[in-house]
Amino acid sequence: MKELKQVMLLTVREKRDVSIAIFFGFLAGIAGVALMASSGYLISKAALTSQMTILIVMGACLKLFGLVSALSRYAERLFSHRATFTMLSNLRVSFFERLEPHAPQLFQKYRSGDLLARIVGDVESLQNFLLRVFYPPVVLGIVFLSTIFFASFFSFTIALVIAAGMMLTIVAVPAVFAWRQRKIDSATRASRAALSSEAAEFLFGFRDLKIYQQLDTKEQQLAAFSKDYAEQQRKVGLEENLSQSVNGFAALLVSFFVLGLGTYFVATDQLDGLYLAMLVMISLAVFENVPPMAVFPAYFEDNRKAAVRLEEIVAEERNKGKSLELSNGPLDFKLEGVSFAYPDEERPALQDVSLTFKAGTKTAIVGPSGSGKSTLLQVLLNIADVDSGDVAVGGIPLQKVRQESLWAAMNVVLQENHFFYGTIRSNLMIANEEATEEAMRNALNNVQLGHFALDMKVSEKGANLSGGEKQRLAIARALLRSKPIWLLDEPVSSVDSSTAHAIYQELFAQGKGDTFVIISHDLSGLEQMDQIVVMEQGRIIETGTYKEIMKRQGYFYGLKQIEKSIFA
Amino acid sequence: MLDLKQLAYERKNRMAWLIVASLLKGVAMIGQALFFVWIADAVFLKDASFREVLPYFGGLLAAILIRAASGYAIGRTGVNLASEAKSTLRTKLTASFAGNPLQASVQGQSGEKVSLLLDAVDEVDAYFSKYIPQMVQSAIIPVLLLIVIFSQHWVTGLIILITAPFIPVFMALVGIKTKEKADAQMEKLGRFSGTFLDVLQGLTTLKLFGRAEQQKQVIKKSSLDFRDATMEVLKSAFLSSLMLEYISMLSMGIIALEIGLRLVVYDNLTFFTAFFVMILVPDFFNLLKDFGSAFHTGRGSAAAAKRLAAELEKERQPVAFGQAEMPEQPFAINVNALSFQYEDGFGLGPIEIAASPGSRLAIIGKSGSGKTTLLHAIAGLLPLQDGQILVNGIPRSEIAETSWFDHLSYISQNPYLFAGTIKENILIGTSQQTSEEELTEAARKAGILEMVYSLKQGFETPVGEAGRGLSGGEKQRIALARAFLKKPSLILFDEPTSGLDLYTEKVLQEAIEELGRDATIVTVAHRLHTVRNSDVILVLADGKAAAKGSHEELLETYSPYREMLAIQQGGVLQ
Ligand SMILES: Nc1ncnc2c1ncn2[C@@H]1O[C@H](COP(=O)(O)OP(=O)(O)OP(=O)(O)O)[C@@H](O)[C@H]1O
Ligand SMILES: Nc1ncnc2c1ncn2[C@@H]1O[C@H](COP(=O)(O)OP(=O)(O)OP(=O)(O)O)[C@@H](O)[C@H]1O
Ligand SMILES: [Mg+2]
Ligand SMILES: [Mg+2]
Repeated sequence: MKELKQVMLLTVREKRDVSIAIFFGFLAGIAGVALMASSGYLISKAALTSQMTILIVMGACLKLFGLVSALSRYAERLFSHRATFTMLSNLRVSFFERLEPHAPQLFQKYRSGDLLARIVGDVESLQNFLLRVFYPPVVLGIVFLSTIFFASFFSFTIALVIAAGMMLTIVAVPAVFAWRQRKIDSATRASRAALSSEAAEFLFGFRDLKIYQQLDTKEQQLAAFSKDYAEQQRKVGLEENLSQSVNGFAALLVSFFVLGLGTYFVATDQLDGLYLAMLVMISLAVFENVPPMAVFPAYFEDNRKAAVRLEEIVAEERNKGKSLELSNGPLDFKLEGVSFAYPDEERPALQDVSLTFKAGTKTAIVGPSGSGKSTLLQVLLNIADVDSGDVAVGGIPLQKVRQESLWAAMNVVLQENHFFYGTIRSNLMIANEEATEEAMRNALNNVQLGHFALDMKVSEKGANLSGGEKQRLAIARALLRSKPIWLLDEPVSSVDSSTAHAIYQELFAQGKGDTFVIISHDLSGLEQMDQIVVMEQGRIIETGTYKEIMKRQGYFYGLKQIEKSIFA
Repeated sequence: MLDLKQLAYERKNRMAWLIVASLLKGVAMIGQALFFVWIADAVFLKDASFREVLPYFGGLLAAILIRAASGYAIGRTGVNLASEAKSTLRTKLTASFAGNPLQASVQGQSGEKVSLLLDAVDEVDAYFSKYIPQMVQSAIIPVLLLIVIFSQHWVTGLIILITAPFIPVFMALVGIKTKEKADAQMEKLGRFSGTFLDVLQGLTTLKLFGRAEQQKQVIKKSSLDFRDATMEVLKSAFLSSLMLEYISMLSMGIIALEIGLRLVVYDNLTFFTAFFVMILVPDFFNLLKDFGSAFHTGRGSAAAAKRLAAELEKERQPVAFGQAEMPEQPFAINVNALSFQYEDGFGLGPIEIAASPGSRLAIIGKSGSGKTTLLHAIAGLLPLQDGQILVNGIPRSEIAETSWFDHLSYISQNPYLFAGTIKENILIGTSQQTSEEELTEAARKAGILEMVYSLKQGFETPVGEAGRGLSGGEKQRIALARAFLKKPSLILFDEPTSGLDLYTEKVLQEAIEELGRDATIVTVAHRLHTVRNSDVILVLADGKAAAKGSHEELLETYSPYREMLAIQQGGVLQ
């Protein structure tokens, strides 16, 4: 049960709606029983006497109980469902809250389809917690206890039989099936996630699959996953059906015994025959409420699994101790003997890196692919926590700085940027909520995307934009922010050189006096940078101004020679 | 329109089972009531001893058993029916996704499509597992009950006959309203999934821009909106069951009154008949009530089915392929008056290209000028609007799709790495058996072997989603290895070296050179020095061919080319 603690807490938060629902649920159940009981009693009574009053009482009782039962049922449903959906909303939000700090590393652990299945599917399934898991036993318990109390006035033994039936149908049978459910290990959730992951990948990798003629294979794989999922669901469905049938049978059996005992007591004069029909009717009526308990085991197990799977993602806390705000002064970065290795990697991606990025300077980072340039950026962004060494921004240890306060001072263009399904406008507004129409148009013009309408549609992941257009749109976002620190990771690698040239000029003009850190493979034109950092295999092998490192005739010099031979 | 009913009726055996089991259940219900009443009547009024009624208990037990068993059989059939129907639908849906041409595949949100495949199909489940079985039962059992009631006490039968029709009328009234709302609801659910996947994938971006908090509010608001909208739908569903309940209460009240009247005043009705009818009537109305709620579930399924139908019946314009095998290699590729237009916007062409066998063609031009689009069109990923592509004189539309793709490699601008090992990601490039040596050779040529060997698990390292992260250039090189493995005769490269340093680029350039010995290569490039040696360079501007010629020819005749070169050599950072 402890897995469900979180959901339980969220349910209790809706205590008003929940208690109203329980009240009406009880009323509806008990009125149904009263209705049947009174009709049973009155028929028997009517068979014996011929008083008109009986008839009148009968009519009035039936009407009253019927109306109360129907109306209470309506109210019960209304309130319980409202509580459920409010809870769903709370669940989503609270889960998102806890998920968010895990963002950059999330996709290294989980596939996006899997996450989708968990967050949409599992959260959704937890909405059943109140309606199917928490609520039925509570309401049923109260209805049963009242009924048993009432029946005990007529025959203690029959009340005992009903009590035994209650134990059987709302405790024993569900418990057995819950146990079975766990044993069969209904892997439904997992197979659903697998199907979801495969489907998402099928869609994301569509072009590559098409080119490599793997669509058929993947389609078959998808079919296999969907078959597996269907099979799992079928198993659950059959189990649920069995549980339903067994429970129904048990309920009927109780009426059978009530009748049997009642008959025996009447025959042996221990019970007035007048009450026999009533008691039988009571047992039939009270067990009519039991069916929800038949689906209880499936939902209970399902909820438990969903809760576990959700908890898995957000279990460990991230970014603890990052709480300091940035200082107001100029923000310079100082790295001292920094090393960093990605989790589960032997080889560090950064090794003994010592560097200074003075406020207001322009730095270019160059180096072969895989040398750790983007990783260095992650460190500056306070996303990667260094294993050893010190990083300070504006004199404050970076590891203690609240991430958001750092990012609020930055314009970042990553090597891969995400674009959301929507419009150019909505994608630009992400960078700056208050951006005016004019500012957005300006930013677009500055990256030579002036021909884009702000209302132009953007497909998911910017799929309807060309490679260079995506990069330029990302730069436009950065331009809209105009914060004092620019971190640019190969921002124009897919843009033709004349456009790229124009964009850089615009960037430097707008960011006059700002700090720039630019990763680039383009070696020409680096003369005007204040600092060039050359990286190789996670180490810094050369730093200095263009003149200084050319003079050294090292790695950079060698690259320049290659460049020369190419351009010649 | 996707006809769910049709889908169910197609499975005749299952339907027959449902009918048989429902009949049995009906008979058992009647039997159960009969024995109940017999026993009660015997001991209450006829003063029978317990022993005398004992045989009736045997009958009662049998009836209960049959009732439970046939109920189980009905449920089981429903579950199986649903399972089969869902599999059929999912197969259709994936086939439809696979049949999409490229430009349609990027429309809409993937999350929404995934939700279609999972949620919408699951939503249809209830139609088969709940609605259909309930419908069959409600068509059979109430009739049986009514016949028995008529035979016992025709007035009660008449009262039922008069009141019961109000139920479907009310249900239909409420149902019509619900349907529209349910449709809207389904759509909302789909939209939520779609947005959510998008948000998840862009979460880092959102956070960097400080928008996470706002996103939380969006989720909250959309969830609460969802709640309110769902409550609207449910309210009418609840209202309809309230009506149902009310009508059946009313009807039962009248019946009870009538029976009571006869029992008390006229004394012309036996306790046996009265009690028997009083047990059967609630059963009758319970069945109708169950049908009512199944009806609402069925409505939800219908809304989901509509969404599925919309996807399945989408019109698509496939790329034309034929039956012929590819001609002898190497190929001469001729592109005649090719043109293509995205639905609303960018138009490409007309483009003319003539590439002799084994030659090298380069496509350059400003960002957004249509280079990738042209490559897609040549590769057969986009349907041509006009014009032709000839392979050794044979139109591509006459060549079989598999044969065409067998001879082609396409390294795209942003290749996708699948969740799997490095090895799997490279092997995806070919459908042929590949030896270990071939794999390492391909990796070596793509300049990634050293990096792979430095990994603990080597080629078995999982990459892609849920795998080890890679640097931008490493991803690109793994994708490149796919081409080196396949040794195709036509290769399309879309900026193969854009994220690489000069040194790595040089190594790759040599390998590509080698690959080009037996192949025709088309390369899109921004770094002009990489395509200087091409036989023909095609300059695109706004989707049209602005100039064509060798490096030297362009230098002489086309001044923008000279400028581009100059800027590149001066450096973009300048
Ligand atoms: N998430 C990760 N998990 C494990 N290793 C990683 C991860 N991301 C990158 N690496 C490894 O760290 C090293 C440095 O990667 P990084 O992305 O910093 O390279 P880079 O210099 O930016 O290269 P490129 O120019 O190709 O983008 C590489 O060897 C890469 O394989
Ligand atoms: N799926 C699509 N739907 C609609 N328009 C598209 C789609 N894909 C690309 N476009 C548009 O077509 C034009 C040409 O795009 P394309 O990708 O061919 O350019 P490109 O020359 O490859 O540019 P880059 O060098 O930046 O990659 C662009 O304006 C782009 O916005
Ligand atoms: Mg990088
Ligand atoms: Mg392109």
